[in-house]
Parts: sequence; C-alpha cells; structure tokens
Amino acid sequence: MRERRKYQGGIFVTNQTPASLTALNLYHKNLPNIETLHQMKFLHTTEFFDDPGNWGEKSVKSGDSWNIKQLRGKSSEDLHKLWYVLLKEKNMLLTLEQESKRQRKPMPSPERLEKVETSMKNIDLVVREREIALRLLQTGHEKPVPGEWRHDFLGRTFWYSYKEWPIPWHLNKKHKKKRFYYLPHVNHFIRLRLEKALRKRARQQNMERTRRKILEKKFPDIAVKSQSQ
Amino acid sequence: MLAVRPGVPQPEDTVQFRVSMEMTKLDIRNYLERIYNVPVAAVRTRIQYGANNKRNHRNQRVKKPDYKVAYVQLGQGQTFQFPNLFPEKEQDAETRSFDDFRDKYMEKEKQKQEGDPRRGGVPDWFGL
Repeated sequence: MRERRKYQGGIFVTNQTPASLTALNLYHKNLPNIETLHQMKFLHTTEFFDDPGNWGEKSVKSGDSWNIKQLRGKSSEDLHKLWYVLLKEKNMLLTLEQESKRQRKPMPSPERLEKVETSMKNIDLVVREREIALRLLQTGHEKPVPGEWRHDFLGRTFWYSYKEWPIPWHLNKKHKKKRFYYLPHVNHFIRLRLEKALRKRARQQNMERTRRKILEKKFPDIAVKSQSQ
Repeated sequence: MLAVRPGVPQPEDTVQFRVSMEMTKLDIRNYLERIYNVPVAAVRTRIQYGANNKRNHRNQRVKKPDYKVAYVQLGQGQTFQFPNLFPEKEQDAETRSFDDFRDKYMEKEKQKQEGDPRRGGVPDWFGL
C-alpha cells in the first residue's frame, strides 16, 4: 500500500539550510522537530543513517516517488534542494543495504531505493526540459551540440553529433576510413532487418490481443464495460 | 558514497566509505564538507579489485565489481563508531504466534519421522 504523502501542503520552506533538510524525510507527513535535529549534530555522520527509531524494524513506511508533473510545478531552487535531500537519502539507503548484506539480515523496505532513483531521474528530466526551452528561446537550437542524421556502412541511421577537431576532416586519415554511406548490396540486409522488426512488432501485437482475450474470458463483466465505453 | 563498517578495526576518528571510482581525495573532502558539513582532516583512498574467479551456470567468469574505499579522518577531534543498525527488538504478538505455530509444526513433523515408541523407536522397515 503506497501512501501519497509528499507535499505536506507547501512545507517546502526555502528558509531552511541544507543541513537541517537532511533528516527531513520528504515522504513523511509529519516533519521532525527542528530542535531534535540540532541536538543530533554532535555526530555529523548520523546523516548517513536513518532515524534511530527505525533501526531493527522489519519495514519502514515511505511515500510515493516524485512524479514529473509534480516536479514541473516546483521552482529551480526547490528542485536543487530536493536533489540534495534525495542524494542524502540515497546514500543512507545504500549504507543500510551494505550493512544488511554484512549482517546477513534483510534490508527493511528496499523499494525506497527505487523510489529515490526514479525521483532523481524525474528531476533530471525536468531540468533538461527547462534547459532545452531556455536554449530554444535564446539561440533557436534544441540541442547543445549540433549534429545530423547519418547512415553507417551497414545502412543503419544514427544521430552524428559534431565534435571539435584541431584539423578539418579531409586531413584526418583515420576519420576518412569511416564510411558514412552504404553500397547497393546492403539493401538486401536492410530489407531483412526491416522484416525482423515487423515480425517482432506483429508478435507483440498478437500476444497483447490473445492476453486481452484470455482476461475477457476470465472476467466477462469487466470486459463488457470496456467494450461499451 | 556509502558509509561502511570497517573489516579491520580503525582508529576512532576514521570513517570508512565506499565511493565512486572517479572520485578523488579532493572531491571526497569537498563532498563531505559542503553537503554533510563534516569537518575532514585527511582522506586516503584505495581501489579494491573485485575478483573474477566465480563462474556461472555457463562456465563464464563472473566479475564482482571494483570499488574505491576512502578512509576519512574527522577534524576537530570528533570520533565515530559504526552503529548497530539491526538491534534486537521485541517481537510483536503476530511474529510470536507465528514462531510458536512454526515450532509446533516442526515437532509434529519430527514425530511422524520417528518410529513407533512402543517398539522402541525402531523404524517399520524391520520385519514383523
């Protein structure tokens, strides 16, 4: 059962320093007291470990991971701070994982690692989107490095991004040996590759259709509803 | 970066970490000082080679990944002891009842295995 409790109603207070944000498990609805955080400061490296009350538990409750739609609404400052909070949480979970392997005990709630990783990936995506938007407005280019679509000697199409070279390409012996074209005899193999891809796609679609039919047979009442819609 | 329990006993001010292979001593110092506010006096690193001896069901060698170990000495006279993250906790009623159930079941299984007590526990294979 996942609990969707990340927001805590605008609790992202930008006045807090990064140090006190660390023990802030953003999954939990109730924020820990800031006073207890300062008391724990005598051992800085406690930030690599979970709240001592959770040590030895079989499972630890945690909320859902951050969605891209939710992150798009946050300011860049907030995303920056959230990134570091998630980084510390990830370090804490990795420490716990390694220690559980050492002690030969099960790690409590390993799904937290996946949630943190997806949250961090989503933050990265949002930041990339914003960068692309800014670059488009300022320069009109989408990508930071210019490039073009090219063929390789096997007929495959790929994105070639330009690199900075000290000499032009026609003076580069090694680069001239690379072939960005294909000869006519390769058309046969392109055709074979295309057929393979089509066969794979047809197989996937058929499998989906048969699975759907089996499910409709098992649960006829639900199937009737979807067809009517 | 993760904190790791040292295999060999370390001095009191030393903390052992496993870090990414590309991190340098300077990187580790800055990381700990800026993100965790930990005063760092010294950092020493080494790369631990992961063995390539094990083999899978296809007799292919399976490599254990390499990793970098960092020994960080804390400044300002601070000490660190790796805590026990799995202390014994009181079992709740559910787990206790489950353990009782499991023990009773195992006892019953054992009794089934043993021979007839009236014949001195001898298995039924022996004649008559």
